[in-house]
Amino acid sequence: MEIDSDVPMQDATEETLDPTLDEDALSKAQEGPGSSGIADHKASKPLQLDSGNIGQLDQWIEHLGKCQVLSEDDVSRLCKMAVDVLQFEENVQPVNVPVTICGDVHGQFHDLIELFKIGGPCPDTNYLFMGDYVDRGYYSVETVSYLVAMKVRYPKRITILRGNHESRQITQVYGFYDECLRKYGSANVWKMFTDLFDYFPITALVDNKVFCLHGGLSPMIETIDQVRELNRIQEVPHEGPMCDLLWSDPDDRGGWGISPRGAGFTFGQDISEQFNHTNDLSLIARAHQLVMEGYAWSHQQSVVTIFSAPNYCYRCGNQAAIMEMDENHNRQFLQYDPSMRPGEPTVSRKTPDYFL
Amino acid sequence: MSGNKQAKNKSGDKDDNGQNSEDLYPLALLMDELKHDDIANRVEAMKKLDTIALALGPQRTRDELVPFLTEVAQDDEDEVFAVLAEQLGKFVPFIGGAKFATLLLPALEILASTEETLVRDKAVESLNNIAQELSEEQLFHDFIPLIEHLATAEWFSSKVSSCGLFKSVLARVKDDKFRKELLALYLQLVQDDTPMVRRAAGKNLPVLIDLLTQNPDLSTSEDWDYISSMFQKIVSDTQDSVKFLAVDILVSILKFFNTKHDTTHSKDLLRSAIQLITDEAWRVRYMAADRFDDLASQFKSNPEYIEELSGPFLALCEDNESDVRKGVAKQLPGFSKLLGDPQVVLKKVLPAVQNLSMDESEIVRASLASEITNLAPLIPKQDAIDSLIPILLNMLKDEYPDVRLNIIAKLKVVNEVVGIDLLSESLLPAITELAKDVNWRVRMAIIDYIPLLAEQLGVQFFDQQLGDLCLSWLWDTVYSIRSAAVVNLKNLTKIFGSEWSSSKIISRLLKSDSQLLENFVYRITLLSALTELVPVVSTEVTTEKILPFINHLAEDSVPNIRFNVAKSYAVVVESLAEEKGKYKDLINKSIISSLEKLCQDSDIDVRYFASQSLEKCQNLLA
Repeated sequence: MEIDSDVPMQDATEETLDPTLDEDALSKAQEGPGSSGIADHKASKPLQLDSGNIGQLDQWIEHLGKCQVLSEDDVSRLCKMAVDVLQFEENVQPVNVPVTICGDVHGQFHDLIELFKIGGPCPDTNYLFMGDYVDRGYYSVETVSYLVAMKVRYPKRITILRGNHESRQITQVYGFYDECLRKYGSANVWKMFTDLFDYFPITALVDNKVFCLHGGLSPMIETIDQVRELNRIQEVPHEGPMCDLLWSDPDDRGGWGISPRGAGFTFGQDISEQFNHTNDLSLIARAHQLVMEGYAWSHQQSVVTIFSAPNYCYRCGNQAAIMEMDENHNRQFLQYDPSMRPGEPTVSRKTPDYFL
Repeated sequence: MSGNKQAKNKSGDKDDNGQNSEDLYPLALLMDELKHDDIANRVEAMKKLDTIALALGPQRTRDELVPFLTEVAQDDEDEVFAVLAEQLGKFVPFIGGAKFATLLLPALEILASTEETLVRDKAVESLNNIAQELSEEQLFHDFIPLIEHLATAEWFSSKVSSCGLFKSVLARVKDDKFRKELLALYLQLVQDDTPMVRRAAGKNLPVLIDLLTQNPDLSTSEDWDYISSMFQKIVSDTQDSVKFLAVDILVSILKFFNTKHDTTHSKDLLRSAIQLITDEAWRVRYMAADRFDDLASQFKSNPEYIEELSGPFLALCEDNESDVRKGVAKQLPGFSKLLGDPQVVLKKVLPAVQNLSMDESEIVRASLASEITNLAPLIPKQDAIDSLIPILLNMLKDEYPDVRLNIIAKLKVVNEVVGIDLLSESLLPAITELAKDVNWRVRMAIIDYIPLLAEQLGVQFFDQQLGDLCLSWLWDTVYSIRSAAVVNLKNLTKIFGSEWSSSKIISRLLKSDSQLLENFVYRITLLSALTELVPVVSTEVTTEKILPFINHLAEDSVPNIRFNVAKSYAVVVESLAEEKGKYKDLINKSIISSLEKLCQDSDIDVRYFASQSLEKCQNLLA
C-alpha cells in the first residue's frame, strides 16, 4: 500500500479500510444491519412534526447542548424519527444558499459548539455537514445525537451527509462502538445509530453549483445523475462508486491513482476539471483529510477540503474551518481554534499544587 | 466474591425462616445485585443503599445490613468501595441515630486501609462526618482507638488515612495528658519511613494548628514543643514534596501566635520563613512564592521584619524557575501594600514589575497581568502615570492574548486612580487596537468592557471615540462577536437613553451600506440589533423607525430572515401592548396581517415561527 509517499495533505493518523476486528466486535456486528429495529416501521411519507414531538425535540436539543447523552429509549425514538426524515432525502440532496459548509467533527463535541459560536446558531444559520461525526473524539455519542436531533427538528435548515466513519465496520475500531458500550453499557445505541447511518444522503448539491461529499470522485461516476441511481441504503461497501464517494482523495498527480487508504481512489486535476465541466459545477467541496489551516484548495480551486475538528485528536495542532456561502455564491472561510474547556490544565508544567 | 456469597446465603436462610418475605425482598434484591457479575450493577446497587436501609428500618439495618456491608468492604472492587465509603458517612440516621453510630466504624476502618486513594479519602471523609455526631464517651472508647489502630498499622495506606482523622478529635480532648499522647502519635507519623505518610501528616498539620488557634486556651507549652518538633522535621525533610508543606504549616503557626499576641518566637519564625523562601528546591520556593502575601502579612506588626523579607521577595521575582516567578508575580500588590511606603514600592517593586512584564514565559506575564493593576492605588498618581501606565501599555501589546485580557479585565482600579481622562488618552489607542485583535475572544473581552467605559467617559467622548467601533463589531465575521455587539448596543442605549440611540445608532444602522446587506448574514444581524433595541427605546422610535425596517424584511428571499421577522414581530407587539389602545390599528394592519401571511409561507420553519408569534401576539392583545 505504500506507493504514495506524496499525499498532498497531512493524514498521518489516517485509518485504513481493513482494520483487524477482535472476535467480540465481530460477533456483535454479525447480528447484522437492521437488528436495532429502528427501521421496522418506516413511514410512507416524510415525518410531520406536531407540537408534541417539537416539544420533545427541543427538550432533547437543550439536553444534548449541555453535552449530556439521551437515554437509550430516547435515542431509539430519535432514530426512528430520523429514519422517516432521512429515507426521503436524495442521494444528491439539493441544498439552497445561503449555507455554511462544514467538514469532519469526529466526536469533538465542545469544538462543535465552538463551530456554532463562530458560524451562528442553527436554525438561524443553515448548515451542511459533510460526514465523520463519530470516532476519535471523546464525545461521539453526544455529537451525533445532537446533529441528528437538529436534523429531525429543522430538516430544511441542516443537511448531514454520510462520511466513511458512519459505518459499522470503521466505528468498531476507531472509538464510537467502545464509547457507546461505555456510556450505555450495551451496544444497542451503537446498533441504532449505525442502522440510521445507512439512510444518510451521500452527497449534496448546493444551488446546482457546488457538489459536496465526504471523500471524492469515483472512476465509475461521470455525471451527478449516476449518483442519483445508486442504492445508498446499505453499509458502506468495500468498493464501487458509493465507497469511492466516501473514501477518495484529490492528488497532485493527474488521472486515477490507487489510494494508500485501501479504499477509494486518488484523482488528479484533470479528473476534477472534467467532472466540474460535465456537470456545470463551480466547485467540489469535500472533507475527509486533515488540513492544518482548516481548509485547503486543490486542483486550481476546482476542489476545496474543509476540516472542522480543531486540534484533531486533541494533539494535531491544526486550525479548523467552515465555509460560508451567501445567497450570491460569495464564499468566506472562517477559521477557528479549539474551544476553551474548563478544567483542562493550562499550566506550563506540573506545579507543586498538582505534584502529589 | 466469596464473602458476598456467604452473606447472600445467610440472608437467604433468614428468608426461608420466613419472617416477612415481602420486607426482605429489598435486601435480597440488593444482595443479588451486589453479587452481579457486572461491576456497574454492583455500583448502582450501592448507590441505592439508603433506600434499602429505609425499607429495612433501623433495627434490621443494624443487625443485618451493617454486618453484611462490613463483609462487602473486604471483598469487592474499588468502584464499589468508593460508593460504599461515601454512603456509610450518611448512614447514622438509618441505624437509629448517634448512639449506634460506632457500629459503622469497623467497615469504614477497613475501607480507610485500602490501597486506592479515592476509596480511602471517601472513608476518611465519612469517618469525620460520623465523628461529629459521636458523644465524648464514644469518641474515647471507639474513635480514638480507631485512629491509634490506623496510625500504628503496618501498611502506609492506613497511616495516611489516620492523618486525616486527628482534626475530628484534637480540639475535643480537654485532658492535657491525653492530648499530648495524640500529638506524640502524630509526631511519629511526621517521622514515618514512607514519604506518603509524612506528606499526609504535613498536609493535615495546618488544620490541626488552626484548631488550636480557634481554641486559644486549650493548648499547653508541651503541645507546642511537639508542634515545633513536627515543623522542624518537615522543614528538614529530604523530600521536596514533604518539605514544601512547611510553608502552610508556618503560616498556621504564625497565625496562632499572632492571635495570642505572643511575639517571643517571631524572630525564629522569620528565620524559618526566609529559609523556606530561599530553599534550594524550586518546589519549596514556588510554595513560598505562591503564599507570599499570606506569609508576609503575618509579620506586618513589625516593619523591620517586612523590610527584611523584601530582599528574598525580590530574589523570587528573579528566580530561575518560571513557575516560581509565576507564583510571586501575583503577590506584588499584596506585598507592596505591606511595605507601605510608596517610595519603597517605586524604588524596589516597580523595577521587578518592569522585568516580569517582559518575562520570557507567557505564563509569568499572564500571572503578573492578573494583579498588576492593583499597584496603582499604592503609588502617587503622577508616578502611576509616569511609571506604571507605560508598563500596562506594553503589556496590552503582549503577543499572548491572556496577558492582554487580564489587564483589560482589571482596568477599573487604574481608572479610579488616574482618572478617565488620562486613562482614555493613554489606553484608548491600545483598546481600539485590541478591538481588531485576530483572536475573537480578545475582541469579545473588549466589547464586554465597553459599557463600563461608556459610563465613565460620558456621551460626548464616547460618540467621538468609540461610536464607530461599536457599530463596526456588528459586521464581524464571527457570529459571537456580532451577537455581543448587538447586546452591547442595548446596554449603551440603557446608559445613554432612547433619543441618543435613535439618532446615533438606529439612524446610522438604517443607512447601512446596501452592498453589505446583500449578504444575509448582515441583514439578519441588523434585524437582530434593531429587535434587541425595541424593549429599551420609546414606542415612537419602535413604530417610526424599527417597525418599517422589519416589515421590509418580511418578504426577504431567505427563509431564515423571514422566520426571524416573525419572531421580531412578537417582541414589537410585547413592547407596544402596554399602549395597545394607541397602537391597535397599527398592530392589526401591519403586524398581524404580515404574520398571517407568513403563516402561509412556503417554508415550514417560517410557518412554525410565524404561528408561534401570532399566538403570542393574540395573547398579548387579548
